[in-house]
Amino acid sequence: MKTSSYTAIAYLFLAPALILMGVFTFWPVGYNAYLAFNDYSIADATATWNNFEHFKYLYGEDLFHQALKNSLLFLLVVPVIQVAALLVAKLVNNKLPGMTFFRAAFYIPVITAISIAGIVWLNVYKYDGILTWFLQSLGLIEEQVNWLGEPKIAIYMVMIFTFWKGIGYYMVLYLAGLQAIPTEVEEAAVLDGANAWQRFWKITVPMVKPTILLCTLLSTIAALKAFQEVVVLTRGQADTYTALYYVYAQAFTNFNFGRAAAAGLVVTFFCVLLAIVQFRFFGEKK
Amino acid sequence: MSKSFTRALELTGQYAGLIAFTIFTTFPFIWATSVAISEDPSNIWLFPGAFLPTDPGLMWFKRVITDIPFKDYLLNSTIISFWTIIFTVIISVMAGYPLARLRFPGRGLIFIGIIATMMLPSEVAIIPNFVTLKHIGDFFEAAIGYKLIGLNTFAGVYLPTVAGAFGIFLMKQAFEQIPQDLIDAARVDGAKELQILWRVMVPVSAPSIAALAIFTLVNAWNEFIWSGIVLTSRDKYPLAVGMFNDLTGPFAVSTSMVMAGIVLSVLPVLIFFAFTQRYFISGLDGAVK
Repeated sequence: MKTSSYTAIAYLFLAPALILMGVFTFWPVGYNAYLAFNDYSIADATATWNNFEHFKYLYGEDLFHQALKNSLLFLLVVPVIQVAALLVAKLVNNKLPGMTFFRAAFYIPVITAISIAGIVWLNVYKYDGILTWFLQSLGLIEEQVNWLGEPKIAIYMVMIFTFWKGIGYYMVLYLAGLQAIPTEVEEAAVLDGANAWQRFWKITVPMVKPTILLCTLLSTIAALKAFQEVVVLTRGQADTYTALYYVYAQAFTNFNFGRAAAAGLVVTFFCVLLAIVQFRFFGEKK
Repeated sequence: MSKSFTRALELTGQYAGLIAFTIFTTFPFIWATSVAISEDPSNIWLFPGAFLPTDPGLMWFKRVITDIPFKDYLLNSTIISFWTIIFTVIISVMAGYPLARLRFPGRGLIFIGIIATMMLPSEVAIIPNFVTLKHIGDFFEAAIGYKLIGLNTFAGVYLPTVAGAFGIFLMKQAFEQIPQDLIDAARVDGAKELQILWRVMVPVSAPSIAALAIFTLVNAWNEFIWSGIVLTSRDKYPLAVGMFNDLTGPFAVSTSMVMAGIVLSVLPVLIFFAFTQRYFISGLDGAVK
């Protein structure tokens, strides 16, 4: 086939995607960087240059520091959710009656809108809610606790919600990885007398290593970008600002678009850094 | 004897784990359902009794439907999701085809450019897109007297989301798996590229298109932050935004009603999921490979 005859048609087919991505994905990256050095007024849609003022402000602001710290703290979710998701995937990978039901039950939080799931959890976390009752009946706490109102613990409560909401997603990815393992391998190990624990460490983990890497990176990025759970659970109260929640609140509560854009640029910087690490990591494998 | 005993022990352990985890992922919904169908709200905070409905009835559901514009929200969600799916599928299919099957200058660069957007935090685009939509809306209002695309329009909600790396990548992968003979045969018969795409590629890739449509539907249906920002009038809110605002605002005082609202909101997704469950696993499977 001749190359030239397809060039026009190829670009014609790509045009809608490229135009829309240009306007709503590529342009925003540049425009966000521009806004970061400006004061933007939404009323008359004007931007006035103000150098590094936003960055200087962010550098000196405690709230932004705390938001960054919380975003890093959120990375605690990553190992917990990955180990749990792999174990659960292992559990539902067996061909036993009722497995379809269990898989569905674990996936329901994933397909529920975060806003709707958030309202249920607001009630779970109420001081006289299920969590308090559960821990009281186990004898672990005596007093009722305002779970989302206590600065020291609220961010961890948000993380538990993230764990609950997301584990089904990673479970499905691990399930796909597990199903690619030939059954003969496991059967041979059983014949050789390997117990369940040995089989898990010596066969399952090495065989799903690519999935583990992928899921860990996905959930690391997701953890750094966490903010919707903050919107639905605490609105930033009780020291629960995350970096992106800070961006969101600055833009749509304070209407300080310039400062929000500057904070967004800082988050973008971290994400790109992570992406480069990711490319290095995966690039070497191939 | 010992072998079957170990097997029985293993099975019990597995089911115990499965049931325990099912309780963990579903207890908020079970509680919500129990509260929602209890007409008597006196023991919704008394556990474990709250998990069993007292004086069962549909009163709270009726209250949600009469007091909250639930049906309007449902309709808005349906319209937004419908157009999101239509545009996402068309754009992804059109872009996936040349990337998978045609040779042309700039192909590698375009593909890398599209994939690279996966690494960027799309949340950062919220502010620029808000500004862009305001300008586009003002432009259309001045030109034709109608905010065709702009703030507080459905198009403003779905247009920024329909051209995404995930859909294009998924369709490219699907098209790459189709045998070249099929395309060559169509070309010999004199088919144009658009006919090849529509008559050969699309029918053969139907499972991938279905998976893309399902993922797009769930994402569009559940989308919350962006539509909450773009849409400013209550009569345009989709379910995820409208119910959140109402149930955490004016109706938050009645827990029974809040829970009934939640059950009603989750129900459409659950019904849909029941019918399409297997696509979720195969679809993600395809996306990972």
